[in-house]
This record gives sequence, structure tokens and C-alpha cells, in this order.
Amino acid sequence: MSSKLAGGFSFDNHVRNAALQQKGLTLPKAVKTGTTIAGVIFKDGIVLGADTRATEGPIVADKNCEKIHYLAPNMYCCGAGTAADTEFTTALIASQLELHRLTTGRESRAVTAMTMLKQMLFKYQGHIGAALVLGGYDCTGPQLFTIYPHGSTDKLPYVTMGSGSLAAMAVFEAGWKRDMERQEAIDLVRAAIESGIFNDLGSGSNVDICVIEKGKHEMLRNYARPNERGQKERSYRFARGTTDVLQTSVRSLVTVVEGDQMDTSS
Amino acid sequence: MEYATQHRATEQAIQHRFDPYADNGGTILAIAGEDFCVVAGDTRQSEGYSINSRYAPKVFKMKNNVVLANSGFHADGVTLTKRLNQRIEWYRHAHEKDMSAPAFAQMLATTLYGRRFFPYYSFCIVGRGMVYGYDPVGSYERYQCRAAGSAQNLVQPFLDSQITLNGQKDAQPTPLSLADVLCIVKDAFTSATERDIYTGDYIELHIITREGVETQLHPLKKD
Amino acid sequence: MFLTRSEYDRGVNTFSPEGRLFQVEYAIEAIKLGSTAIGVTTKDGVLLAVEKRIPSPLMEPESIEKILEIDSHLGCAMSGLTADSRIIIEHARVASLNHRFIYDEPLKVESVTQSVCDLALRFGESGNGEERIMSRPFGVALLIAGVDEKGPQLFHADPSGTFVQYEAKAIGSGSEGAQTELQENYRKDMTLAEGETLALSVLKQVMEEKLNKTNVEMASVTAAYGFHVYPADQLQSVIERL
Repeated sequence: MSSKLAGGFSFDNHVRNAALQQKGLTLPKAVKTGTTIAGVIFKDGIVLGADTRATEGPIVADKNCEKIHYLAPNMYCCGAGTAADTEFTTALIASQLELHRLTTGRESRAVTAMTMLKQMLFKYQGHIGAALVLGGYDCTGPQLFTIYPHGSTDKLPYVTMGSGSLAAMAVFEAGWKRDMERQEAIDLVRAAIESGIFNDLGSGSNVDICVIEKGKHEMLRNYARPNERGQKERSYRFARGTTDVLQTSVRSLVTVVEGDQMDTSS
Repeated sequence: MEYATQHRATEQAIQHRFDPYADNGGTILAIAGEDFCVVAGDTRQSEGYSINSRYAPKVFKMKNNVVLANSGFHADGVTLTKRLNQRIEWYRHAHEKDMSAPAFAQMLATTLYGRRFFPYYSFCIVGRGMVYGYDPVGSYERYQCRAAGSAQNLVQPFLDSQITLNGQKDAQPTPLSLADVLCIVKDAFTSATERDIYTGDYIELHIITREGVETQLHPLKKD
Repeated sequence: MFLTRSEYDRGVNTFSPEGRLFQVEYAIEAIKLGSTAIGVTTKDGVLLAVEKRIPSPLMEPESIEKILEIDSHLGCAMSGLTADSRIIIEHARVASLNHRFIYDEPLKVESVTQSVCDLALRFGESGNGEERIMSRPFGVALLIAGVDEKGPQLFHADPSGTFVQYEAKAIGSGSEGAQTELQENYRKDMTLAEGETLALSVLKQVMEEKLNKTNVEMASVTAAYGFHVYPADQLQSVIERL
């Protein structure tokens, strides 16, 4: 066996895990971003939006996570699905895009990122659970894509993804217009994400917005906070000493033997 | 996304599954005080990642002033409640008195066990003076405080620490006032709403005292 | 009444043109042939006393049981065709036990009486799904004694399915004389001991035989001890007080 550290995934334990699973062992569950993510093209660019809830089954794992990931200075990507997969996939493609820019000396194009993502996801046959909304502004203008975990893609003027995609799409279908103004587009995306937050149990907490225009982008973290937690009725501080000390033992791990004092003169 | 492919189950035997239950989520709790009892539940009714209703009560005042809270499969809870109310009425006609809380508690247990092999998918908590908690097939016990439902694992330890003062050194078990208990109930639900996706929308509280049953509704977060 | 006998007295479910059910009335008559049974309610509990007819000196008096336990808080004395009571007692015991199982509480005295009276009407042809258990009315009357949250109570149930609550009641062959005696001597504030004396003294007056500890049976139902049949020595001490 080679001790060389190879890149990529390790499948060393796959056979063992499959055998254990068959014997009834349940493997640890991954954090899912049961999510609402969305994007629209407006007159001068792209607006991306995402909620901030991460779940582990029925439990909220993170109340204010970030689902809009950096790909390139002119490109951001919303991720839904397995949190680790969206984070690592976008980070990997971001680094490849950076290298690509250094090699070519040109701004990255959204189609490039989209193609790299779909090729990677297709290679892994859906085992990488990343469902993405990719938005960017390049030399061809504003670009918006969705990429599914199996590698298929769509190119549309308004898109949604995640468990709240139907709730968000309902808002888009009702309110989308061609060539919207910037603020109009932000308001529409915010409404779409809030629709997911309130009507989809997998989505919740706040709205993150990212606006990408020619030569600039603006990340509006927690653009809307419609779910502030109210004041608690009581304080739950425990008095000092509430936890009983059952046993105390002090053990001396070092034996100090009398000897000459350390010479500190010089 | 998938294009329809050829039906591949032709050589396999067709299986029919009977799946009559759903989990409609939600959390309930009850706390017994010195001379009062509080039974509360959130009012969200959900299935999967969808909300069916933001106000679907699962805590009911029965005809004998006992308060019954159900979580689990909503339709079973409603049916169970109807049948129990009918039994209370029959009992009143047969014996010319209201069914006592212990009698109701035992009757609920036998009713649940009567469906041992096709249970009501309902986790019940009963309150009036005392609190009783049940499993779906009728095993029951008296408690000082009890939580059930989707956030049971979050709420029960909180109640154990604040009501029973479990494992707290020098904690003096002074009897809690109704106001204190109401604060604890509200905090239990707002906190459960933070971390359990199936709990939210409203709390419906039933306060049982010698004077009768008072109901309160408080808003919760709706995400 | 026997003069008005006609073909209407054959069917158990047939009214006579005067609106009477003869078979039921005859069943009530049958009780008047039975041995006397007396029930007395006192503030401390209810007493039941019955006469045992011992036609042969070779008979074992202990084998006659006319006072039976229904539940720990319910007792029953009978008169008439006592064999019929087996079905009734069984039914009452099941009703009481079932109530404890379902509600975790004792059944009320009135409720067990009601339950027994529901049974009394289930004769003749079966109707709406109810199981028919007897082809004729019961030939036995009961004195049901018990203690519940309303205190000590005594009920009389007859073959027509009618029940009435009494402070003191006598049934059976000596019932007319005994009832008059009870009416004259009963007081609401009697103690249990006074009730014992009243019950046995009334019984003594209407019995043909001389009353002794073997030809009477007595039981009490009290809040403290529930149903209790008097053993011979206890019975003897009551007799000595007469």
C-alpha cells in the first residue's frame, strides 16, 4: 500500500461501512441546508438570495448560516443540499477559477464555472449533494444558472432551489417582470426567500442578498431579519455551586526533590 | 429530473402497503402546581416540510373539565378526543356525576390499550390537578411535569431542571406560583421554536384552577 | 287477580287488554313465597339479614347462601327463586369489576342496581342486538346494599326491572309484617349496632322457626370494612342482645 497522501476522496472504509450498515449501524447524518435559494436577472445584473437556516433532521443546526458562496469576484453561488458538499464544491471550483484567471489573464465567465461544476457533479453521480444557483456578470452580461446534484443545468431569467423552491417560485411567477430595476429585483428576491422562510419548514431565520453588477458586487448579509427572538421571560442563571462536587482528588504528577537552586546569575 | 423510462417492475411482485399514519409534529406539555395545572401546546400542524395549518389546536378541554393534549397523528388525536368526550357524557348519564381526573386517566389508558394492534398514533398528556403522561398504547404514569411531541427531547430536560430541580445542589424546592409556571411554559415554547422546525406559530395555554379552565393564546415565531 | 287469568298470561311479551304483563306480575308473586330478607340503612353502614329455611335437620345450613358479595363495597340479599340470582350476581360482579378496570374507581350502588335491572328486562325474544339470556322473567328480588361517595345506601330491585331506594326494606314471605315493623321502629340516626338489633328482631317476629345463629344470615357494608358476613360468634352476640 502506498503511504503517499493522494488528493480527493478516500474510499478506504467504504466496504467496511457498508458491511456495518447492513448489520444495523446507522452512519452519522450530514447537516443539510433544507433551504430556500433563488436568483433573478434584472436590468443591470443579478440578484441572488438565500435563507440562513441549516438543519439536521428536525433540528435547527445553525440559525444564521451563510449559503451564498464566493466563486470569483464577479460570481457568487447559492448552495442547497448537504452543507459540506456545497461548501467544498464551491471552494474547489473557486480555486480552480482563480488559477484559470491567472493562466488566462481574463475575467472568469459564468459558463466556465457552470461547466466545471456540472462536470464535477456528474462525475460523482449525484453522491455529492449540492444543488446550486450560480449568478455572475461577465463579458457576456448577466448570467444565471441552476445546477442539480446529478450535473444537469438550467439557464433561466429567474430560478429557485432547495426545499423552499416551490414557495419562492410561486412568488417569482406572480411578481417577475423583464428588465426590473435593482431595488425592484432585490424586493422580489427578498419576498421569494421570505416565502420560503415562512412556508417551508426546512428554511428559516434571515434573508441574505447578493447583488452582482458590471464590475462590482454587493453582499447584503442579513438584508432582512424577520425572525428576531423575543426577550425571554426569566433568567436561567444557576447559582454558583449548583453542580455538586462529588469527589475531589489532587494527584501530584511531578515529584519535587530538594536540590541545588537553578543558576540564574547569567 | 428524469425522463419516463420503461416500467421495470414487470417481473417483480407488486407490493401493496397500508400506511394510515402521518406525523403532524408539534409539542405539548403540562405542569402541575400546588393548586393549579397548566396544559399547553403549540398550534402548528405540519407534514414533512409543509405547514398544514398555523392554528390547529391539539389541547382540548374535555366535558368534565379535564384538559387533554395530543401530539402525533392529528386525525387520531381528534378522533380519540371525540370518543373520550362521548364516554364522559355516557358516564355522566349512567352515574349522575362528572368523571374524576383519575377515572378519566384510567379510561384513557384502557381506550388506548383497546387498540393495541392498530393504535391511535397519539401521545397524550392529561391535566387537572395532576398530570398524566401516556404512550400510544396506554402505558401511563403520573408526573409533576411532562412534555411530548416533536420537541420533547428539548423541553423535558428544561422542565426537569426548572420544575423538578433535578440534580441541583442546595436548590430549595419552593412551590412555583402560577405566574412563574406561565413564564417557564412560554420560555419552553419560544426556545423549542428556535430549534425544532415542527414547533411554532402560537402557544395555546389552558390554566386549570378551582374556578375552572382559562385559555390563553400567545404568538410564536412563524418560520 | 288469579280470577282475571286469560290467554294473555302466556306470552312474556304480551300485554293484557288492561295493560298488564301477567308473567312479570307472577314473577313478583313468586318472591312472596321466598324466605324473608331485610335491609336496614344506618348512618354507619347498611345491614342485610335473611332467614334460612331448614326443612330437614340433615341439611347443612352453611350450604345455603342468600347474602352474597358483589364487590368489596357492595353486598346483596335475595328472596325468591334464588337459583336465578346466580345469573344476576355474576352480571353485577362483572359490571363492578369492569368499572374498576376502566375507571380505577368503585362502581356506585345505584349504578350496579341499574345494571342489574337492565338485565332483568332481557327476557323473551331478543331485540336490537341485545343477547337474550332468559326465556322468562327472573323469579328473584334483590336487596342491594353498598357504600359509595353518597354514603350507605340500600336498593330494592324486582323482576320487572324496577328499582327503588329504601332506608329499610323487607322482601319475601314475611315482608308485609316485617315492613310494618320496620316503619314503626326505624330511625334515621340509628347506629350500626341498633340496626343489627332492629333487623334481627324484625326477622325474629316474622319467622316461623325460633331464630338462632344457624337459621339466619347477616352481613354489613360499611365505609370502614366494606362487605362483611357475620360469622357465627358475632351473630350469636347480636342474637343475645335481642
